Amino acid sequence: MELKVGVVGCGNIFNLAHKNALKKIESIKVVACMDIDEERAREGARAFKAKAFTSLDEFLDLDMDVVEILTPTYTHAELAIKTLKAGKHVIVEKPIALTVEEGEKMIKTAEKEGLHLFVGHVRRFDKRWMQMKEVIKKRNILPMHIRKSEVQNLPFPKDYWYWDERKSGGVAVDLGVHVTDFLRWFFESEPLSVYAVGKSIKEEARANGIFDHFLMMITFEGGKTGIAEVSWAYPYPSRYGIFYHHVDIIGKNGRIRYTPLDTPVVGVAKANFEMPRFSPLLSTFPDAFERELRHFFSCIRGKEEAAVTAHDALIALKIAENAKESARRGEVVEI
Amino acid sequence: MKKLNFGIISYAHPHALRFASVIAGGRRTKLVAISGDGLNSDVARTEAKKYGARFYREYEALLRDENVEAVYIAIETYRHKEVAIRAAEEGKHILLEKPIALNLKDADDVIAAAKKAGVKLMLPFNPRFTEPLIKAKEMIDGGEIGPLEYIQAISENVKPPIFIQGLDMSWFLDAKKSGGGGFMDTAPHGVDSLLWLTGGLPRKVYADIGAKIYGFPVDDIGTAVLEFRKGVLAVLTAGWGNPKGYSYSIEMKYYLVGREGFLDVRTAYPDFTVYQDRAEKIYWDRPDVRGIVESFSKAVLHDEPVPIDGETGKLNLAVILAAYESSRNKKPVKVKL
Repeated sequence: MELKVGVVGCGNIFNLAHKNALKKIESIKVVACMDIDEERAREGARAFKAKAFTSLDEFLDLDMDVVEILTPTYTHAELAIKTLKAGKHVIVEKPIALTVEEGEKMIKTAEKEGLHLFVGHVRRFDKRWMQMKEVIKKRNILPMHIRKSEVQNLPFPKDYWYWDERKSGGVAVDLGVHVTDFLRWFFESEPLSVYAVGKSIKEEARANGIFDHFLMMITFEGGKTGIAEVSWAYPYPSRYGIFYHHVDIIGKNGRIRYTPLDTPVVGVAKANFEMPRFSPLLSTFPDAFERELRHFFSCIRGKEEAAVTAHDALIALKIAENAKESARRGEVVEI
Repeated sequence: MKKLNFGIISYAHPHALRFASVIAGGRRTKLVAISGDGLNSDVARTEAKKYGARFYREYEALLRDENVEAVYIAIETYRHKEVAIRAAEEGKHILLEKPIALNLKDADDVIAAAKKAGVKLMLPFNPRFTEPLIKAKEMIDGGEIGPLEYIQAISENVKPPIFIQGLDMSWFLDAKKSGGGGFMDTAPHGVDSLLWLTGGLPRKVYADIGAKIYGFPVDDIGTAVLEFRKGVLAVLTAGWGNPKGYSYSIEMKYYLVGREGFLDVRTAYPDFTVYQDRAEKIYWDRPDVRGIVESFSKAVLHDEPVPIDGETGKLNLAVILAAYESSRNKKPVKVKL
């Protein structure tokens, strides 16, 4: 039976990633798209011959199995809780919520309603990292030190919601949860403490009094060290892409490294700059979103166990939240 | 041209091999004596024969050799203080392998002895004598990437073989002799690069250093977060993190982020790769030891300041020791300078 899917939030992540992924999945039907911007809602709905809504209540009245929440971070909790209470499973973009407290409420609501709550930690569905993790297991690398960087030059203007800490949580949360989850996933250990330092580099960050460059040193059980670097302020040349991953894993039985030069983009060399052609997003290959959504739908059908749970997402956020506290106080914070 | 007559004291540190070959073949230098103190005395003797240098079993005899004007000291770190002070007292100029000493008090004693004797004292931190790093420094100072904001650096070496080229390096695994393991061995180079590139001093250090990989009695890898007074943030990973099959032996990398630009110093030592049963990097330019020996000799012969003096070596040690302290106490540490 087809799952009936609704989408809330038809902005960037919908247009760049989820729309195409949803289109490729045969076993579901997108029946409704909701956005507070009517034009966006209509445009989204058009792609699926679905209904367009600007009112959440009317949207939630519809018969749907699962709702994808693809809105700015600060709205996640309220929307997810309402949707769960309306009896629909929820897939929400990462971070799970703006704060750990909100995230906990979401998880409690899902438990109470007996519904699934999934968080789109898409790194767990990216073939690069899946394969890397497999190699680590197969070859018994035993990682003790992992440095993961995710850096970019955030192209949005300074009044965009990303630059508002109360809306996005800042780079420490927005990109941070990707990396903190990655470290936990790869170490298969729990974090003990974090020391973090933040910087405001770009004009947009200074104007908003927000960090756009953030470093976390995370101590994991068993003497493992995780180094998470996230940045919106890298003045990178765009030759290889606009988003960069670095991974350096040092284990008892070997080392694995991935640099921006290993990213298989198709670069374009012309007198004027053009975006690389391989991937529209470049932080993630498009098939990762499709794999993620297929997996979540399959979990909803009861056919698979979740590869990443809302609880994992909550811990990823908790580390980032503790890290922000550490950066504020200039001290190590226990997790 | 007047040449500077060098003596080498000890082959305990494997760098002695490269310094000997550079000093012997230098435009301004002559290798006239070698002493076999510490480990690898037999290698020292063979090398003396190879270079036609006078061999002494003990450094005291070498220091009494009036033909020797300057010494390169490559003895085990715990003997740096004793040997460097004696060398100063005998009026020899000193090129002292890093770290300067085991602790800051000893470093002060070495510096004071050199000052009192009026001899030059220099520490050899290699990366700043390499083309890529010199170029990066020029570009930063020229304002090409705007104010420097963030540095991520790697200063690493392979898992130390206990024997290399016939040298016994077991003392590297004895903290009483070496002061520490992989971090103490390789971080001084990275720290020197950071101090030099930023032209500043760190006010705070947080580090995680440990015996994480090989099960050695000393640490093998560490990462330090350094917050500089001018606001630059730096992260340095240093140690022996490279497994045997790794294509690099020594690896120095720097990502330098300025407000308006980014420098990717892929390597301080340019190389090419040979692929056979394994991949191997061959360094086609290692100008660092040549640069060190030449600048030291020039400073001695023309009575000019050395590029890396004892105070800089002490500062370097202060940062390294602060990192160890932070790692022990699991707390950030204010650097006392």
